Amino acid sequence: MPSPTSSWVASAQAVFTKDWRCELRSRYALNAIALFAVTTLVVTSAALGPAGTNKSLAINVLPAMLWLILLFAAAAGLPRAFVHEEESHTAIALRLAAPPSALFVGKLAFGVSLLLAIEALVAPLYLAVMSLEVASPGLLVIALLGGGYGLAAGSVLIAALASQARGRSTLFSVLAFPVLMPLLLLAIELTRNAVAGDAAGPALPQLLLYDGSVTIAGLMLFPAVWNP
Amino acid sequence: MTRTISLGLRALLWLVMSTCIWGAFFYAWSDPAFVGQSSRILFFHVPMAWTSFVAYFAAAVWSARYLWGGRQMRHDRAAAAAVECGVLFGVLATVTGSLWARIEWGAYWNWDPRQTSIVVVLLFYGAYLALRSAMADREIRARISSVYALIALVVTPFFYFIVPRITESLHPEPVLNKEAKLDVDPRMFQVLIASALTYSILFFWIHNLRARTQALADAREDEPS
Amino acid sequence: MSSVSLAFDGLRRRFGRVRALEPASGRVAAGETLVVTGANGSGKSTLLRCLAGLLAPDAGTIEHLEAGSTLSPSERRARIGFVAPDLAFYDELSAGENLEFFAKLRGLPVARAGELLDRVGLPADRAAGALSSGMRQRLRWAWALLARPRALLLDEPFQNLDAEGEGTVRSLLGEHLESGGLAILASPIGLEVSGAVSHLELGR
Repeated sequence: MPSPTSSWVASAQAVFTKDWRCELRSRYALNAIALFAVTTLVVTSAALGPAGTNKSLAINVLPAMLWLILLFAAAAGLPRAFVHEEESHTAIALRLAAPPSALFVGKLAFGVSLLLAIEALVAPLYLAVMSLEVASPGLLVIALLGGGYGLAAGSVLIAALASQARGRSTLFSVLAFPVLMPLLLLAIELTRNAVAGDAAGPALPQLLLYDGSVTIAGLMLFPAVWNP
Repeated sequence: MTRTISLGLRALLWLVMSTCIWGAFFYAWSDPAFVGQSSRILFFHVPMAWTSFVAYFAAAVWSARYLWGGRQMRHDRAAAAAVECGVLFGVLATVTGSLWARIEWGAYWNWDPRQTSIVVVLLFYGAYLALRSAMADREIRARISSVYALIALVVTPFFYFIVPRITESLHPEPVLNKEAKLDVDPRMFQVLIASALTYSILFFWIHNLRARTQALADAREDEPS
Repeated sequence: MSSVSLAFDGLRRRFGRVRALEPASGRVAAGETLVVTGANGSGKSTLLRCLAGLLAPDAGTIEHLEAGSTLSPSERRARIGFVAPDLAFYDELSAGENLEFFAKLRGLPVARAGELLDRVGLPADRAAGALSSGMRQRLRWAWALLARPRALLLDEPFQNLDAEGEGTVRSLLGEHLESGGLAILASPIGLEVSGAVSHLELGR
C-alpha cells in the first residue's frame, strides 16, 4: 500500500502529465501564448526601434515592456488551466477524484512550466530584437525564474477563482492585475538592475517572499475555491 | 439593533458630526504652513482614508470568519458591506486628497506612497465587487469572494515596501508629511481625533444599515412563493 | 465488505431565485436501491449532486456512514461512484488514457482501468472526443466503478445505451448491490430495478 505522501505526489504528477499531454495534442494554450507574446514583441519593436543603444531607454523602459509582454502572454494562456475544465465539464470528474491540494500543485507545476517555456522563447528574442545588452545576465535569469514563477502561480490561483464565475476571461484580468502588480514591479526592478549591472538589492528577497506567500496562500485557499 | 439604540445612534451622529464640522472650520486654527485655509480639508480627508483602510482589513477578517467560522451568510454580508462602505469612503478620501494635493503641491496626482496605497485598496475593492456581480449563486459568491479578499490581504503589504522605493528613485524630492506637524497644535489634534471617531461611528452606522438591508433582501428571496 | 448507509433529511437548494430542490428526505442501506423520480426541474439532479458533495445544500443534513463512521464531505466525494449526463472526459485523450489518469489520481493500480474498459466493452484506444453517446455512457460507468465505491449515485444511468450496454451495466449494478453496496438512481421516467427498492418522488 503506497504511503499517503507518495500517492499525493503521484496524483499531482498525474495532473501535470495529463495537462501537458492534452496541451501538446491540442496546442491551444501554447499557440495563444506564443501568438500574443510575439505580436506584442513585434509591436514594441516597431514602435521603439532597436532601443538598446539608448541607455536611458534601455534601463528605464525596456525592462517594464518585457514584463508587460509576459503579463499579456500569461493572461492569454494560463487561465485555461481551470476555465477549460469548467467549460468542458471535466471539472465534475476532477472534483470527485482528485485530492484538492494535489490538483492545485499539479496545475501550478503545469502553469509554471508553460510560462517558463514561453519565457525561454520570448526573452532571447526580446534581447535580440531590441538590441538590449544586459550587464548581469545571471541576475536576468534569476529575475525571469523568480518573476515567472510568481506570475504563473498568481495567475493559476486567480484562474481557479475566475473559473467559478461568469464572464471568465475578462474577469480574470480584473482580478489578476491588482494581485500581480507587486510581482511585476519587483521583477521589473530586478530586470532593470540586471541591465544596468547594479546589485540585486532588496527586490530579490521580496520577490522570493511574494512567490512563497502566493504559493502558501494558494495551497491554503484552493480547497475552499474548488469544493463547496 | 433595537429602535432605541438606532435612534440614540442617529442622534449621537448628528451631534458629533455637527461638532466636527464646526470644529474644523471655526475651532481649529488654519495651519499657516499650508496654502490659505486648505489644511481644514485634512479633518475630513484623513479620517475617511483611515476608515477606508480599516474597512479593507475588516472585510478580510469577516471573509475569514465566513470560510472557517461555519459558512454563516451574515459574515459574508458583513464583508461585502464593508467593501461597499470602504469604496465610498475611499473614493471620497482620494478626491479630497487630490484636491488638497493640487492646492498644496501643484499637482492632483504624484504617486506619493499614501496616494498609491489608497489606489491599490480601491483597485482591490473594485475587483472584489466585479467578482461578486459575476456570480449569481449565493453560496459560491460568498465562498469565492471571501477567498479573494484574503488573497488581497496577503498581497497588499508588498505594496508598502515596494512602491516607496520605486517612487523615491523616480521622484527624489522628499514627500512632505504634513500630518505629523498637525499633532503639534492641540486644537487641531483634538478636532482630528474627534473627526476620526465620528467617521468611525458613521462607517459603523452605514455598514450596519447595509448589512441589515441585504439580510432582509435575502430573507425575502427565501420566502416560499 | 464494510457496511454502508446514506440518509438525508430536509435537503433544499436554490440557484438565485429558482428553488431547484424543495425539502427532500430519504434513506438507503446496504444492498438497497432508492429510485428518485419526478418531472423535469423537480430537483433530481440537484439532489444527487448534493449527496455527491458537488453542491452544498442550503439546508438539511446528509449522513453517509461507512464501516460505522460518518464521512466528511471531502471523504464522501472521494468514496462515491457518480454517473450523470454532463460528466465529461478529456477529448484529447483516449478512453484508456482517461481512465488511467483517474486511476493514478486516486492512487489505484493502472491495470484497473483496462479491467473496467473490458468489462463495459469499450476499446481503450479511441479518443474520448470521438466516442458515440452510448459509448460515452459506458465510459462513465467504468469511471464510476474505478475505486470500487460502496455507494453509487446514478443520474439517468441507462441513457443512450443499447440493449447490450444496458444489460452490461445492469449486471454491474446487480453485482454492486449483492456485495453490499447501495445505489440511488434518478430518472424522469420509471425504472425497473431488481432487488430491494424504495421510491422517492420529487415534486413542486
